[in-house]
Order: sequence, then C-alpha cells, then structure tokens
Amino acid sequence: MGSWVMPTAYLLGAGWYFAACIILGVVVGRWADGQTGLEPVFTLAGIILGLAVALLGGIRMLMPLMERIGSDSPEKK
Amino acid sequence: MSRIRIIVIVAITLIVIGTGFIVASGPEPHIAIPPEILWTFGFFNISSTMMASWAAMLILIVLGYFATRSMKLIPTGVQNFVEGLLDAMLTQMEEVAGREKARHFFMVVATFFLFILVANWVALLPFFKAVGITQDYGEEIFHEIQEQQVKGEPFDDDHHFLTWIMDDVGGVKMALPGAETFKFELHLGEQPGEALDRYIVALSEQFTDFRATDDEHPSEADVHGAWEALQADPEAPKFHGEGAHAALPAGSKLASLAEEEGVPSPALGVTLSSLEFPGQKVGMVYPFFRAAFSDVNNTLALAICAFFIIEFWGFQALGLGYLGKFFMNPLKNPIMTFVGFLELLSEFIRIISFTFRLFGNIFAGGVLILILTFLVPFIAPIGIYGLELFVGLIQAIVFAALTLVFAVGAVEQHGEDHESHGTDDYGHDPNAPGDTHAPLPSGAAQAH
Repeated sequence: MGSWVMPTAYLLGAGWYFAACIILGVVVGRWADGQTGLEPVFTLAGIILGLAVALLGGIRMLMPLMERIGSDSPEKK
Repeated sequence: MSRIRIIVIVAITLIVIGTGFIVASGPEPHIAIPPEILWTFGFFNISSTMMASWAAMLILIVLGYFATRSMKLIPTGVQNFVEGLLDAMLTQMEEVAGREKARHFFMVVATFFLFILVANWVALLPFFKAVGITQDYGEEIFHEIQEQQVKGEPFDDDHHFLTWIMDDVGGVKMALPGAETFKFELHLGEQPGEALDRYIVALSEQFTDFRATDDEHPSEADVHGAWEALQADPEAPKFHGEGAHAALPAGSKLASLAEEEGVPSPALGVTLSSLEFPGQKVGMVYPFFRAAFSDVNNTLALAICAFFIIEFWGFQALGLGYLGKFFMNPLKNPIMTFVGFLELLSEFIRIISFTFRLFGNIFAGGVLILILTFLVPFIAPIGIYGLELFVGLIQAIVFAALTLVFAVGAVEQHGEDHESHGTDDYGHDPNAPGDTHAPLPSGAAQAH
C-alpha cells in the first residue's frame, strides 16, 4: 500500500470529525432555539461549543500523524 | 494496473459528487454585496461581517491571553508559538525598514497582519454563510403593498425581494434543501392594486402548478386562474378580505384589518386585507457570520486607520516639514510642485486601493466557493479552500507590507534619496538622529 493511505485516512477522519462537531452544535443549538424562542442564543452557543470540541479533538486526532511524519522525516533517519 | 486505479478514482469522485447533489443540496445561492443586518440597536446595526470581525478579535485576545498567562524565559507551548510568529514578522520588517523603524511600526503593522489573517482564515470555517436567523417575507411584501394603499399613492421606488421557500422543521424555520429563489419586485410608479395582482400570480406560480401567460402584466384571466389555484391547494398561501371567496368571521382580527388596510384587486374586484401561509413560506436566511473583509465597510475602516497612522508617523518624525513633501514653491521648482501635488493625491488614493484590494479578493473568494459548492459539491471546493488559505495569507501580507512601506516613505526626509545633491531643500538635516534606516527598494513607496 502507498505511504499516502494512512495520512489520507487520518485527514479524512479529522475532516469529518470537524464538520460533524460543528453541524451537531448548530443543529442542537437551532433546535433549542426553536423550543425556547431565544434565537439566536443557543445557535451561537452551539457553534462556539462545536468549534471548541472540533479544535481540541482535531488537534488530538492529528497529533499522532504529525509525530509519525516527524519521525519519518529524512533528517531523523 | 494504473488504468484500474484511475477508473476507481474517477468512479469514487463521481459517487462523491452525486452524493453531494443528493444529500447536500442547499437552497440556491444568493450573492449579496452589502452585509446582512442581523440586529439593530437604535442607530447601531450589527451585521454578519461585524460578528465575524468580533470572532477574529476574540480568537486573537484568547491567544494573547494564553500566550502571556505564564511567561517563561525559555518559552513553551502557546507562548513559544506566538513568540516565534512575532519574531519572524519582526525579522521580515527589519529587512524592509531597518531595526529602529521596524520596532517603531511593529505594533500597528503586526496588528493589521494578524487581524486580517485570522479574519480571512476563520471565514473558511463551515458555519460561515450557512447558519443564521430566518425572517418571513411573504407577509412583508403584502404589508408593503398595504402601506402604499394607505398612503394612496403609487410606489415611489423599486423594491426588490429575493427569498427562498422556507419550511418549519422541528420547530425551526429553515430554507428547504434545493429551494429555488423566489423573486418579486414592486415597481416604481405602480399602483398597489396592480402590484397585488402580480403578487397573487407570483405566489400561485411558486406554490401551485398554475402558470400565467404573462408574469409582468397578468391579464384578468391570469389573476382569476391564479386565485382559483391558490384557493384549491390547501398548502398554498391564502388571502383574506371583503368579498373574497374565504369568508371572514365577523369581529375577528382579520375582519377589522380588512376595514382598515384592505387593498382592492382590480382584476378580482375584491378587497384583500391579510395573507396567511398554512404550509411553506417565503423567507430569507441571514447568516450570523460572513467573511469580515467581504464587507467594504470593514476594509475601508482598516484603510482609514492605516492612512491616519501613516500620516501621524509622518508628522511625528518630520513635524510640519512633512507637509513640505506635498506643498512646494511653484516659482522655485514647478516640476516638483506638480510631483508634490501627485504625492498628495496618492496619499488619499491609497485609501481606495487598500479598501478594494482586500475587499475584492476576499469577496470574490467567498463567491467562488459558494458557486463551486453548488456546481460540483464536495470535490471542487476542496482545491479552492486551499487557494483561499493562500489568498487570505497573501492579502494579510500585502496590507501589512504596504502599510509598512508607506510608513517608511512618510518618515523619510524628502531629499534623503538624492544625497548626491548634498543639500536638503527644506532645511532639514538628512543625518538627523532617528532616521537611520535601510534604503527602500526603488519605487517601493509608490507601489499600490
């Protein structure tokens, strides 16, 4: 298998995770706004929360990949 | 083998694009140059682009807080990242402006760079231009016609309405996937009754299978047909009023409205006073966030800040002698007088070039992504996102670098680059302290 498969899988996974977190935050926020009539409080809160989770989780997911790329780099070899 | 691989890649791409068309088809894109006004407090409007610039500021403030919370002599983590970034910027600036001047201009130029960079990059996050507040427009258009009827005058201006078909999904109003834009215009000089007839036809064409022979000038038969079609469809919008097919309960809110603000329809011969949407509505989504610099107000504000700070630095360094760059004695040197006049003009023209360079690049990038998302979902926008990351960085560099170059030009003594002349035309000492800087590349100060 080519060496590009693992990084691609990691990046695709992280991309989906990123999008899913934000979409989930927005959907839950919009639903809560619809229920309470407090638009846009919960939507904005959902966006911020989703983004924060996406950023922290994304960094955590991509760290092993960054470390692997670092250890595979020609200088280290 | 390689042929099979190509076929597989093409097949996967087509499947992804096809899936995109099916599951991710949003409402038809609508491109608006002015920012969307979300809320108004007195005379103060809060727009989507303003929200985005606040978000960029918040990110920078949080980053600044965490970077300086517990500073160490040997930096680690966030402090290390921020120090590395600032150090790289300072090194670049010192190459252009020299050590002293670079440090003098650093805070402002670096602020411009970081703010523009973060605002441009944050605008590529997926919730930008997608999530927002919704507003019904069906009643609004009718109210506009009603108000004009109360005034008893024809419309004194064109009013454009561009909306989507909205639905109530789980208690939340949203634009339907794949919804087409619903366009309606109130024409200058049009009587409210005529506008109402056209609106009945437009609504009927949008919500039922009815098709008029002429949308712009519907015949009486067209309006009657449209009316019948609206009445027959339980999901379609319903008009109420005196003499209308739907009877009004006496003493109800609708009946009292009919007396006050009814609009007579010339084709139907009835007076209509209210509009009700039993099913879907027409409305707009105003996004909470839109790229901060896709708004010419923001880029202009930044350009004006850059202009004033450059002029301030000029006066600070040269005192009133700074004006000597622009105003010269025409008897002494008519050519330089003309050059000075051009210099003065270029100071102001810079505001315009600063404004529209940044605005044009960021706005066009946003439009490109939006349109490509609808043409080739999922696949094509990926490359453009990469390009936009690059454009965001380049524009931040260009704005900051030009501010720096113009600032260096402003604090320069006028005769400085003509040292072979030996004298300074304006009585300044070219070797005065505080003016030690590396010479600029020729013509750099004139770059726009």
